Amino acid sequence: MSDFIIETSRLTKKFGSRKVVDHVDLKVKKGEIYGFLGPNGAGKTTTIRMLLGLARPTKGSIQIFGKDIRKEKLAILKKVGSLVEYPSYYGHLSAYENLEAVRILLDVPKSRIDEVLSIVRLTNDAKRPVKGFSLGMKQRLGIATALLGNPELLILDEPTNGLDPSGIIEIRELIKSMPKEHGITIVVSSHLLSEIDQMATQVGIISKGRMIFQDSISTLRAQSTSKIKLTVNDVESAWKTLLTHGYTTDLSQNNLFIENGSDEKVAEIVKSLVQNDYSIYRVEEERKSLEEIFLELTGKEGGL
Amino acid sequence: MMRVMASEFIKIRRKMILFLVFLGPIGVIGLEAVNFGIRYDWLTGVYKDDLWRGLIGEVAMLSIPTILIGLTILTSMIANIEHQTNAWKQLLALPISKTKVFTGKFLLSVLLLFLSCLLLASGTVLLGLLLKFGTNIPFLYLFKMCFFPCLASLPFIAVQTWLAITIKNQAIPLTLGIIGAIVSMYSMNFPDWVPLKWPLLLNDWDKPIYSVLAGLVTGILLYFMSLIDFNRRDVK
Repeated sequence: MSDFIIETSRLTKKFGSRKVVDHVDLKVKKGEIYGFLGPNGAGKTTTIRMLLGLARPTKGSIQIFGKDIRKEKLAILKKVGSLVEYPSYYGHLSAYENLEAVRILLDVPKSRIDEVLSIVRLTNDAKRPVKGFSLGMKQRLGIATALLGNPELLILDEPTNGLDPSGIIEIRELIKSMPKEHGITIVVSSHLLSEIDQMATQVGIISKGRMIFQDSISTLRAQSTSKIKLTVNDVESAWKTLLTHGYTTDLSQNNLFIENGSDEKVAEIVKSLVQNDYSIYRVEEERKSLEEIFLELTGKEGGL
Repeated sequence: MMRVMASEFIKIRRKMILFLVFLGPIGVIGLEAVNFGIRYDWLTGVYKDDLWRGLIGEVAMLSIPTILIGLTILTSMIANIEHQTNAWKQLLALPISKTKVFTGKFLLSVLLLFLSCLLLASGTVLLGLLLKFGTNIPFLYLFKMCFFPCLASLPFIAVQTWLAITIKNQAIPLTLGIIGAIVSMYSMNFPDWVPLKWPLLLNDWDKPIYSVLAGLVTGILLYFMSLIDFNRRDVK
């Protein structure tokens, strides 16, 4: 048995002749927070629906906990909690009744309802009808429902969609605490890189149905090469002076940029500028943000 | 399966669904009370041989369109609980087979409809006693006339459950169901094989049980066909 919790192989879903998910090999290890990233309409939700057995793959296979979803769907789903897109709830029922309706189906003890309510801090609102809840509270109820069956794998599709900043932080902290406190593996999808950046340990980037990057978040960060930006008084003559001394720099937007400069090289350039009587206002490092890397990766596929 | 039903019963709390289950029989009995109240002398004249059979027959006539409209609204409301916030994806991502989910919805409609029929039977007895028709109540006939139309309507429960679950826009199953109920009121002269005639319990052999059997067999068949279709579908 492999050590992957989720392993898909050449997973493909066609709607008509359009390939929404195209040969995706998703691999999620135990205890990870796997960030599933992609622009809107890239195939994230469709992939997640297939993982939950809600949609049937056109081609390819899905193994969860080493079991084939086509053969052992119910055994897999018993250990999976999910929240797909906007939360599903029964508005006319209270939070407690909502959880009870699901609890009966999962056959877990009644005490579990109070436990999950306290995890998402809804204990005080448990008796109110859910239709009066704010979106953030509904989303938390959705997470509580997902946690009800003591899952080993939690699949959350866009859990912070439509929430205000404090709601986002709340959900994020909740998600981050799960693997540590409960040993749960989490797959969380988002179209916002900053979101994933703050939670995930592994990242998969999907664009136009294809997986274009899958590795740890640190590998993604390593792709962000740094540049040294110099702000000096007379930029053009400084650039020429440096060139005569044998240092090539890029001149753009009234700044000088040093690409891939070692510490010594930067020091030498600064030294020669000082010796030639230029005023140096700033020497700063500019890192390409993850956002730019993301755009670069997805942009290759034809833009957002 | 018990757990699925228990969950279904939690979900219909505070949903007017139980109100509807009571409204149907109360409405029928109420109308018959008015009917017999206004035309008491004439109707007791027409049914002077057997007052109870007369009353039960009148109730059954009125109950048929009520059952058909009632089951249409009932199946639609039950399915709409899941449609409203698109809870299908949550429900079907639970470790419960799609067969059980569909059967749960179907069975819930059948049970609630039976409850209505039971209320109708009790209401009829109550009305008869109030009208001083005596205590010689033909119970077998009463139960036959209250439950047979319901059993003969099984194909419609299956079809309406399937329509209400697979079509998100509830206007479509509601429209079709109501048209069916209206057409069934004029179905006396239809050929025997038309399912809309079965709830009337009329056939060439004058044996109501034939209509019931046709309804049961067709209903179970349609249930299995809908089930296969539901299992095959991707969840929206």
